[in-house]
Amino acid sequence: MPQTESSTPRTEHDAEFVALLNATWFGANLPPETQVRLAALSRRYQAPAGTTLLTEGQLANELGIVLSGRVSLRTLVPEQGWITILTVEPGDIFGQSALVPPYRSTSTVVALQPVDVLAMDGPGLRAALSADHDLAAVLYPRVLQALARRLNATRLQMLDLFAR
Amino acid sequence: MTADTTSASGFLPRAGFQQLIDLLAEGGRTVIGPTVADGAIVYGEVRSVADLPRGVGSEQAPGRFRLVDHADERYFAYAVGPTSWKRFVFPPTLTLAESHRDEHGHVSFGPARKEIPSLAFLGVRACEIAAMGIEDRVFLGGPYTDEDYRRRRAQALVIAVQCAEPGGTCFCTSMGTGPGIRGGHDISLVELDDGFIVTAGSEAGAAIVGRLALEETTADQVMAGADQLAAARERIGDPVVTAGLHDRLLAKLDSPHWAEIAERCLACTNCTAACPTCFCTSVSQRSDLDGHAATTERQWDFCFTKGFSAVALGGNFRPRVQDRYRQWLTHKFATWIDQFGTSGCVGCGRCITWCPVGIDVREELDRIAPPPEVIAGDGHAAEARAPRTSVFRVESVRRETHDTVTLALSTEATPDWEQSRGEFVMVSVPAVGSIPISISRRLPTGMELTVRGVGPASTILTGLEHGAEVGLSAPLGHGWPVPAAEDHDIVIVGGGMGFPPLRPVVDEILSHRGRFGDVHIYHGARTPGDLLYKEELAAWAAQGDLDVGVTVDRADATWLGRVGVVTQLFDQARWDGSKAIAFVCGPERMIQATVGTLGSHGITQDRIFISMERHMECGVGLCGHCQVGPFFVCKDGPVFSLAQLGDVFGREGI
Amino acid sequence: MARAGSTPHPRLAVVKLASCDGCQLMLLNLEDALLEIAERIDIVEFPEATTHHSSGPYDVVLVEGSVSTPEQLEQIHEIRREAKHLVTIGACATAGGIQAMRNWANHEAFRAAVYAHPEYVESLATAQPVADYVKVDAELRGCPIDAGQLMEFVTALLTGRRPNLPDEAVCAACKRAGRVCVMVAKGIPCLGPVTMTGCGALCPGFDRGCYGCFGPREQANAPSLSRQFVEMGRTPAEAGRFFAGFTGYAEPFRTVLTELGGVPGTTAIASAGPADRDHSATGASPRAGGK
Repeated sequence: MPQTESSTPRTEHDAEFVALLNATWFGANLPPETQVRLAALSRRYQAPAGTTLLTEGQLANELGIVLSGRVSLRTLVPEQGWITILTVEPGDIFGQSALVPPYRSTSTVVALQPVDVLAMDGPGLRAALSADHDLAAVLYPRVLQALARRLNATRLQMLDLFAR
Repeated sequence: MTADTTSASGFLPRAGFQQLIDLLAEGGRTVIGPTVADGAIVYGEVRSVADLPRGVGSEQAPGRFRLVDHADERYFAYAVGPTSWKRFVFPPTLTLAESHRDEHGHVSFGPARKEIPSLAFLGVRACEIAAMGIEDRVFLGGPYTDEDYRRRRAQALVIAVQCAEPGGTCFCTSMGTGPGIRGGHDISLVELDDGFIVTAGSEAGAAIVGRLALEETTADQVMAGADQLAAARERIGDPVVTAGLHDRLLAKLDSPHWAEIAERCLACTNCTAACPTCFCTSVSQRSDLDGHAATTERQWDFCFTKGFSAVALGGNFRPRVQDRYRQWLTHKFATWIDQFGTSGCVGCGRCITWCPVGIDVREELDRIAPPPEVIAGDGHAAEARAPRTSVFRVESVRRETHDTVTLALSTEATPDWEQSRGEFVMVSVPAVGSIPISISRRLPTGMELTVRGVGPASTILTGLEHGAEVGLSAPLGHGWPVPAAEDHDIVIVGGGMGFPPLRPVVDEILSHRGRFGDVHIYHGARTPGDLLYKEELAAWAAQGDLDVGVTVDRADATWLGRVGVVTQLFDQARWDGSKAIAFVCGPERMIQATVGTLGSHGITQDRIFISMERHMECGVGLCGHCQVGPFFVCKDGPVFSLAQLGDVFGREGI
Repeated sequence: MARAGSTPHPRLAVVKLASCDGCQLMLLNLEDALLEIAERIDIVEFPEATTHHSSGPYDVVLVEGSVSTPEQLEQIHEIRREAKHLVTIGACATAGGIQAMRNWANHEAFRAAVYAHPEYVESLATAQPVADYVKVDAELRGCPIDAGQLMEFVTALLTGRRPNLPDEAVCAACKRAGRVCVMVAKGIPCLGPVTMTGCGALCPGFDRGCYGCFGPREQANAPSLSRQFVEMGRTPAEAGRFFAGFTGYAEPFRTVLTELGGVPGTTAIASAGPADRDHSATGASPRAGGK
């Protein structure tokens, strides 16, 4: 499908969001047209510490980028209570289940500090990615990079190196 | 070898040999020499020529030794048997030290009192003299020396015998150690059918030779001696190609052959026990039932056993027999050279003959390293250098976690450790033992040690109260090269109990903060409850000129800090590592992950320093346990640069 | 060194299953030391020394003997419940002992051949080491156990350190003692290279090969040693039978022995080994519970 979007932000909203993306590990150094595209799909919200942003098993409707603050990915283990598997720090993403069928969150995401989040609409992003292969070609590697990093870390956690 | 050998040489008719034995035995000296026992030639006490193996030879092959009857009068017509002289200068079991603890908890440490017997070694072969030279380097050539060895070696007379009857497993020719005698003896003998050409090799030897009823040596006798030596050399041949063995062997660390050898190897330790140069030991404690009076016993240990490379909580760096065989062979023929400047093998063939399944190192090797030189003459005179155990008192105890405490210790003894940049101390508890613990802070009159109670000794340490006493060695090993890191940015990564050794680095940087660039301090722990130095970390973070990151592997919902592995503290960070020096300590697998992440920030291997964990027993490079490739972790490390470690870092089973 | 002097003495029990009592006798043989030990440890149960019985729980239970009867099977589970530390002593408890040789035989046929009224003899089809049924915290090996190791164990228990019970081969002690290898010098088959140390290399000091009383050491390369016995002129069956002693039922001796034809007087059985047969009858599940 021919690209019709311009690489110039059309609105003030888009310009602000491109600037926000550029300040994050996930969004920085993407092609300008990609950033504009993502900006158009995004909203920004703030939430106080303790807010549950996503619930395990529920639909993940948004791919989030933490702009500031800290969120935790948790899971409930019988007899152990809530276990934090990982914290997501500014610049990194959460809610990537919004891109992976069945689009349900694999952990419960809770803000540990007051957070500022840039959230991309899940269904809209999926539609854009399947329609626009150039967008997919630059965005998926970034998502993969985030997931691979998490996978590596999880492997080390699993080894429980400090137990001995 | 300053003796005038021209005046102390001659021919001793066979009938006069008893006179030599008697002269050696003067002054209460015990003569040790070859005897026939248990189907072999065994070194034991020799009082008369009747004790010697007259007319007895040996037939040797891989895994096989048989006595044979030569039907002649010769005493030394055999190739070396299972005994090596090391058992007389480096006894298989030895009481090293005594320690006491009274009802009030006062402790004391002292060397064990022992008498060193006066010995003469009769019948020492060239390869065996070479072995003594190698052991001299091991025990006397390093920063610390083995006092017991020094004393035993210094008093022993060496009566060498020229080899005339090599065995089927000999390869001294390849190792350049024999069969000809080239020094390191007090007296040398060339045995001929009717007697001996006797030559003094030292003043002590000359004094004895001068009292023997000698005849003038004839030219025929000299020729006969030379001929039989040449014949011996001819019979041995040159079974192993020696040039370049060191590099060649170390290039084969991943050879599938190691696993094939392990199919046959029994890991029984016979090769190392028979070897005249293997020097590894372990110590254990013996005590009365109350632990009030204890002795530290040392015994030969062997790199073929599991316990040899075991570390706390069941870890083991050489779990497989193939790892252990590789360690033994590469040490003997390659890394020994890096450590001591000589090969560890003299080609005596004992490890081949006495292997119950006949594994033949000659067949396992293509080329062997250059010959060692005897340094016995210098080694004897070396003064004793041993780490002293001083009594330290617990001044305060701070509980860090449920199983970890930080002990502040001080001493009234001269703090000879003050000058040292050593990284760790050996902490001794009477009747329990000694364990290595990294210094976690240097204090004006002592130090802090952060101890996690994982084994009996460390658990006892974590239970100590104010006023309790323990024994501490001077700081040992090479520490972190902090002065060399001035003018650089610094990255400190400490995981779990790997963080305490890095705390003195932080202290040193903070005392001269202006001399360093950006400083990043990263600490990872298993859970929030396992984090160390929480208040200090907070204070450092609040200081403003330090970047402090803390993370845990897992946490419950009450923890508001970071969760993730330690590398995630900085893998997305934007700092530039091109001018940074990194100090890393933690479990080896964590170090590996950290090294990768540091590399992606542009920190090269020569600027990454890590502290290695290995089984340490003596702490001073004399017991052999903590070897990693060419290094003793205790003596050459525990801090190494990655560039220094090369491909031994992270290698399986090393 | 604040080891509180006021703590109560540890309570120790000695318990016997199928065994000859020789290991218990080693404790009695400590003689003078036994009195000193008794001042520091409450020995509350000791069949060879006293008829006095006491109930648990115990800090340490020394268990002698293999599990060979349904009654012993019940007993060992009960002991495990009552014991803070369960320590097996001797070849029977740690490896099944000499009676485990019957694990290669047809149990019913043996019973019928030996006893006039086999129906009165209650026994399990196999004699098993204790660790096949319950978790074992420590082992003192040997047939019988070694007095020195026993003293070491007790001293370590009282002083709070780890007992020094090395896992090396008998060869290590043999060579430290300066003994000549009987295999190399005399061609005598010897189990020393694959056997755990602890006896002080007794037999090679008397011109005998090691019989393996202390059982397999870690990484025991029994296949290589058996090949060497054949190399030295024994038939494969003869080579296998050197492993058929006090600890022949312990792996890897069991596999080598089975592969080379089994114990004398029995027919070779399937290479799966005898361990898994017949327990349905007793409801027991070896290697399932507790391990």
